[in-house]
Amino acid sequence: MHTHAETGPAGRRAGEPAGSPPGGPAGDLAAIVGRDHVRTDDGALAAYARDATPLFHARPQAVVLPGSTEEVAAVLRYATERGVPVVPRGAGSNLCAATVPLRGGIVMVLTRLDRILEVSPAELLARVQPGVTTAALADAAAREGLLYAPDPGSRTVSTVGGNVATCAGGLRGLKYGVTRNHVLGLEAVLPTGEVIRTGGRLWKDVAGYDLTRLLTGSEGTLAVITEATVALLPAPEETGTGVAYFDSLADASRAVAAVIADGIVPATLEFLDRKCVSAVEEFAGLGLRRDAGALLLFGDDGSGRTVAGTLARIGEVCEGSGALEVTLAEDVARADALLAARRCSLPALSRLGSLTILEDATVPRHRLAEMVDRIDEVADRHDLRIATFGHAGDGNLHPTCVLDPDDGEGADRAHRAFAEIFAAAIALDGTITGEHGVGAAKLPYLADRIGDDQVALLRRIKKAFDPAGILNPGKLGS
Amino acid sequence: MTDSAPRPAPGPVPVPAPGQGEGLGVFDRTLLDRCISCGFCLPACPTYALTRQEPSSPRGRITLMRALESGDLTPDDPTLVEESSFCLGCRACEPVCPAGVEYGQLLEQWRDHQWQGRDRPLIARLLMAVVSRSWLLRLQGLVRRHARDRRHARDRRSARDRRPAHGERGQPVSLMLGCVERGLYPSVSRAVRELRPEVAVPAGQGCCGALHAHNGDSAAGAGMARALGERLPGTIVTTSGGCAAHLAHHLGRDRVRELSEYLEHTGHRPRGRVTVGGRPARVALQDSCHLRNGLGVARPPRELIAAVADYVELPGAGGCCGAAGTYAMLRPDDSRAVLDPKLEALRKLDVDYVVAVNPGCLRQLGQGLRRTRSRTKAVHLAELLAMAARSKPETTPVTEPGPGTGTGPAAD
Repeated sequence: MHTHAETGPAGRRAGEPAGSPPGGPAGDLAAIVGRDHVRTDDGALAAYARDATPLFHARPQAVVLPGSTEEVAAVLRYATERGVPVVPRGAGSNLCAATVPLRGGIVMVLTRLDRILEVSPAELLARVQPGVTTAALADAAAREGLLYAPDPGSRTVSTVGGNVATCAGGLRGLKYGVTRNHVLGLEAVLPTGEVIRTGGRLWKDVAGYDLTRLLTGSEGTLAVITEATVALLPAPEETGTGVAYFDSLADASRAVAAVIADGIVPATLEFLDRKCVSAVEEFAGLGLRRDAGALLLFGDDGSGRTVAGTLARIGEVCEGSGALEVTLAEDVARADALLAARRCSLPALSRLGSLTILEDATVPRHRLAEMVDRIDEVADRHDLRIATFGHAGDGNLHPTCVLDPDDGEGADRAHRAFAEIFAAAIALDGTITGEHGVGAAKLPYLADRIGDDQVALLRRIKKAFDPAGILNPGKLGS
Repeated sequence: MTDSAPRPAPGPVPVPAPGQGEGLGVFDRTLLDRCISCGFCLPACPTYALTRQEPSSPRGRITLMRALESGDLTPDDPTLVEESSFCLGCRACEPVCPAGVEYGQLLEQWRDHQWQGRDRPLIARLLMAVVSRSWLLRLQGLVRRHARDRRHARDRRSARDRRPAHGERGQPVSLMLGCVERGLYPSVSRAVRELRPEVAVPAGQGCCGALHAHNGDSAAGAGMARALGERLPGTIVTTSGGCAAHLAHHLGRDRVRELSEYLEHTGHRPRGRVTVGGRPARVALQDSCHLRNGLGVARPPRELIAAVADYVELPGAGGCCGAAGTYAMLRPDDSRAVLDPKLEALRKLDVDYVVAVNPGCLRQLGQGLRRTRSRTKAVHLAELLAMAARSKPETTPVTEPGPGTGTGPAAD
């Protein structure tokens, strides 16, 4: 059992016989990042063969965990010289197989770069390394009375680097926007090893193409992000949350349209259908009603009076749109519990079956009810159980297909159904993915959304950044 | 990487659908299928915190289990062997898992397969051999003078106390002595008897089998739990969170009460105050992982402490202390690496006592605090409550068991 003499916490080298110095590529990489931060054992390669996306997996040949920007640059130069693929990875919580190393090569894990370099109340910004978790950044900001607004569902796990690379969304998108609206500047390493700094501490800066925005959402195909400067806001005085129940998700969708048509832009407008509420309730035990067809979770922040006024008005609009019941969370703890429960919708749904495949179709808000109806119709036609939740205020839906273990060709039916759902979203002026990213999972549908000319342009951009084509090959623009 | 590169084929890389394919049969497939790799467990895992590497996270380990099950990795794969042992088995990943993955069960199944015969660590084999021999447990308990019925009956000279013990809903109540605790911390069971004289201490108790279940022999572990269930009538009260979780799994949740839970259920009102130099003692709690994560019991011990002392919440109290059953003996370096941040947190907190509700944690904390020459003392909850009760002799006289008492044979 104790064949591994060097089992210090950071020095774990499972799977490698003690004492044998690694040779070949593993040795070259170890010379850059140190022996303790290269893994080539089969077990580690299996563990890094997948992310949070079902059905996609491919093993790399090595995993490296660099500890500095210089090490990132050295690994990239090494890979470019030899034409070895490199797939940057944060926490591996993405849902589009963006970090699955389809062509093998090196998985570059950035979780060691996890320092919060600066939180500046004077300048309303923070500077962090890419491996900092979203929640850690938000907590650090909160300690200074500030708000980091983007809050993807996976915030306790996901890293800021991963958030930037996928332009993560979240529950506050309606009022605050998504990650791209809060990134001021980046430090990034090009595949050829040059370190660039885009943007910076300025809200106004038009010197050059907006590379900060180009890298945001580039899914690790253009450069490796090694530092991010993000905008913070003064923390709102108060937050409030309420819940409305409806007969159906389509009814809830119409209420959402009515709320926004009423001139209200609350921080949060989330909905869940009955299946999702049931699954979430089973995990969180919040006393949610399981008999209603849909639940709408709404919330706002700001001064105490504004919040109370907004929530009351949303409640009225919901009642006017046929809500079965409207209740307001009595305190912050209850509101936090409701939001936390909403964030775990997807994993909670996996209680219902053995395989959950979720998508991210997004449509203009006023077409939400139409899209919801289309999803139901597609699910029926393919004999699938699809539960839907999402960021209703953003028109962002997460239809989630739950399959039984004995449904042999269920995954095939699910993929046919999702192809139709994407087509329906595009027909409604929507998109194939609102916030999860294209990755490997949705690349086949990318041209349907952006057209061949733009796909060709993406490829030329990709080539300009990455002439050897080593960064995350098989993804965007490859 | 040219502009004319073919578009990738639609659909994912083909892999067998869940439930399909032969599989090795190591794992219960429905348990294994539950995990969707969302990674919500990562921040909760103490070993992931040490390495920040995927294979030492719950999600990574489940990927490894799947690779073992599918034949993707062979059973002698060094990473499989290493990670099945590196895991503390603290189950901190369970309460944070929205999908409801029963990681503790999966780990038992993994070790059943991985740690067969000679592949089981030698120390684990020795310990399992010891605790399987109930005469040996009885002997060490006798030598160390754990609580026993007969002494108690004689000392109290109360006919009422000789009636069969009864607790909730009129059920008889039996105190489980534990295999480790009766030898190492016999004062804990004596303290329970001071606090609750109605609790019977049946003789001839063996080990509950948790040690076996956590070290690759879950069948023996289950058998031992059932055997102990037959030996101990009615509600089983235990001073060990780990034993409580194991017994509850095999005997049913209602059959088993960890001490703090039992005291709460029976409306126990703690007496007295624990003071240090005339002021109320400042006391923190270290949760028992299996009590908190396996049985969801976290509030009762805190409330009991708060009733007799100044309760101070230890930051990270719910995180493993590194004792983790046999872990502290099997992997002393890793165990210490898990413990060190906790010792640092305790140093900052500067409390008089830190309370444990599991003998392994008591040993781990006590050793660590002594090693770092801390003024903080580790005590069991029962000992703290008994200490408080003794502080007010004017209220109710309590016999303090000292050396020389209770030398007779244990009554059945």
